[in-house]
Amino acid sequence: MNQGQPCITGVGSVSPFGPLKGLLPRKDIQPRAIAAWPTDGLRRAFLVEPFRPAEVVPGLKTRRLDRLSVWCLVAASLAIEDARLNLAVEDRSRVAVVLGTGFGCIELAEGFFQSMAANGYAHADPISFPESLANSPASHVARVLGIRGPNITLTHKHVSGEQAIIQASALLRSGQADVAIVLAGDVLTRTMYEWFEAASLLSQACFREVPAPAPFSADRDGFVPGEGATAVVMESAERAGKRGAKVYAGFQSGFVTSDSKAGVSLARRALGSSSLDDIGLIVASANGSRVLDSVEQTVIREAFGAGPPVIAPKASLGECDSNGLLRLIAGLSWSERSTHSLAILLGGAPTGVCAALSFELG
Amino acid sequence: MDRGGRHGGLVAVTGIGVVSPFGHGFGALSSGLLEGRSCLKPLTIFDAQLDSPPTVAEIKELPDVNERGGFYLSRTDRLAVLAAMEAAEASGSSRDFLESGAIVATTVAGLSDIDPSITSNPAQYYREGGLARAASYPASHPAEAVGAWLGLRGPCWGVSVACASGAIAIALAASMIVAGDAPMMLAGGSDALATYTLSGFSSLQALDAGPCRPFDKKRKGLNLGEGAAVFVLESVEHARARNANILAILRGWGMSNDAFHQTAPDEQGRGLASCMTSAMAMAGVKPDEIGYVNSHGTGTELNDVAEVQAYETAFGARKAPIPVSSTKSYIGHCLGAAGALEAAIAIAGMRSSTLFPTLRLTDPIDSSAIDWLTGQPRRQPLPVAMTVSAGFGGSNAGLIFELPGNERSGGIDRV
Repeated sequence: MNQGQPCITGVGSVSPFGPLKGLLPRKDIQPRAIAAWPTDGLRRAFLVEPFRPAEVVPGLKTRRLDRLSVWCLVAASLAIEDARLNLAVEDRSRVAVVLGTGFGCIELAEGFFQSMAANGYAHADPISFPESLANSPASHVARVLGIRGPNITLTHKHVSGEQAIIQASALLRSGQADVAIVLAGDVLTRTMYEWFEAASLLSQACFREVPAPAPFSADRDGFVPGEGATAVVMESAERAGKRGAKVYAGFQSGFVTSDSKAGVSLARRALGSSSLDDIGLIVASANGSRVLDSVEQTVIREAFGAGPPVIAPKASLGECDSNGLLRLIAGLSWSERSTHSLAILLGGAPTGVCAALSFELG
Repeated sequence: MDRGGRHGGLVAVTGIGVVSPFGHGFGALSSGLLEGRSCLKPLTIFDAQLDSPPTVAEIKELPDVNERGGFYLSRTDRLAVLAAMEAAEASGSSRDFLESGAIVATTVAGLSDIDPSITSNPAQYYREGGLARAASYPASHPAEAVGAWLGLRGPCWGVSVACASGAIAIALAASMIVAGDAPMMLAGGSDALATYTLSGFSSLQALDAGPCRPFDKKRKGLNLGEGAAVFVLESVEHARARNANILAILRGWGMSNDAFHQTAPDEQGRGLASCMTSAMAMAGVKPDEIGYVNSHGTGTELNDVAEVQAYETAFGARKAPIPVSSTKSYIGHCLGAAGALEAAIAIAGMRSSTLFPTLRLTDPIDSSAIDWLTGQPRRQPLPVAMTVSAGFGGSNAGLIFELPGNERSGGIDRV
């Protein structure tokens, strides 16, 4: 890795696997029944089980925050702990927070709507309104951890997590920050779930106690929604080396397009000057839907050939706009890792592959 | 540091599109400001269902946008698309244009078109025609709309950092240009008036019942506005190579966070001062070289005091007080669009050699560091100007623009 290369040196997550520091365990997870809102029969998703944040991060106060804010606070704290980063001795005006999210604090946005309906528009809940803003999670991370550098919340729909990695790396490479806390997350709510259902996007495994067909399988019939938040600490290879930090992966390059037909050229571009033999892992965005999986299979075959191993983590995490970061961590967790090889992370929209990022495995 | 692919140059603004309460077009914005017109009046375009119609800056007649099959345009989306179309046209043709991306800031996005009934029975809401409308909820939707309407193939995504969003979108797009990640980028912000935000700011008791008075000791709060501003950004070299008209040069920017409170600013304005200092360092300009600051200036009790503190820190060493005004006194607080609209206003002032005053500012907060602009527009050359934005969650952003022909070497590659 070259000295300026942005590297991942700490990982934390709140996912269907629970709140975790570091890599994810290898275990089979099935969707769970939704109980948070009234449903017309069984409805299932890959859900984050309720937990007490202060039992994971001692002293953390999260009352009246959106669950996404809570999860981001927990994930960021775990990632910083995993990176053994002592913020007390860092120049925290040189630490950035970058959050990628598809829907932001939609849970409290729904709550504020409900308070408008219940109390009248002139007397809605003044607490939930500012907490419903999309940048609340990143703001709380900054406030609680005393981080005063650039604080960015972005939404790039299905590739929000991928775009957060790209933008955080840009801040590091341009010298606008020395360290970046990269966050990506979304909470599943009733309005979202019923939207997916109304748009006929869901697998039958959402409605029956049957395993969801695997992504890329011939009998796939739609996706199962998921939720969660992931955080990684990023810093330059030089900086990581100086403080003796372990390196999970180094970010090499990343590209995003709005052209759903450009997947093959995008994927090859992410490969850069590396050869196909360098690829040790492809983390796919396949989610069980007919179109995306088919297009992605073609992109992988045409861009990279049949050789590299492919993993489709949405089989265990579900679909969620911002799960590119968690999929990357899942890929690093669940695959045989070889040094000096590349991991390719693909991001998909409903009609095709629209993001490709490459990582050097440390 | 790996600077592979970075052109290391300056970022040119070659197109500006605006939809504001003054009307459709960058020209309408400039002339409205020059005339000193306040757009703040009681809301008429919908019923906010508050105790009385709030004072707002609304756009009464919004031009139509041609339909695209399968793509619902919320009011926020329409504002963004109209502004982007004007910016693209003003920028002139470029063979690289379709490879551009768009970063459009918003806080409201599709909430302008969604009502609370969506939460009581979502499935019914969707069955009754709300499915496409609800799809406009994500903050990426205005950028996606801009991309779809202009046929852009580059990345199109949204920024949502409360009221600092618009300035941050411009800074991030400029970063991509500097890094060589895109030949051209569209960047700006768009937000429409919505019952959601009117109810929210009303619940926080942050609204002034009458027209707002930023920085006045008798200020009583803010007024919401609506609008969009979108810039076409490219490197100066790229602009010159295609003989594009360079309207202004973005010399530098700064971003920071107060790390203080979700809704209240740091009382000493430390985060805001830090982002101004960072922007000046990146731009390679000294505080004495900034001719004007278009402030955040909301008219709320806490913001304006903290902001004054920030100017005293960032500009206290100047030989003369820094000229400051808040143009929210004309068009209200346009939330996610504010930073982009105010950047357009700063450039309008630079190009017309005009410093726009704050309206209704008769008894300003005491400060020896600030030259409060009041009364009539001040006519004087303005080669370098700064805009300042701040938002809930403590995020701050500052942008520094320079008129073309005045630019010195260096600048952004000094980061």
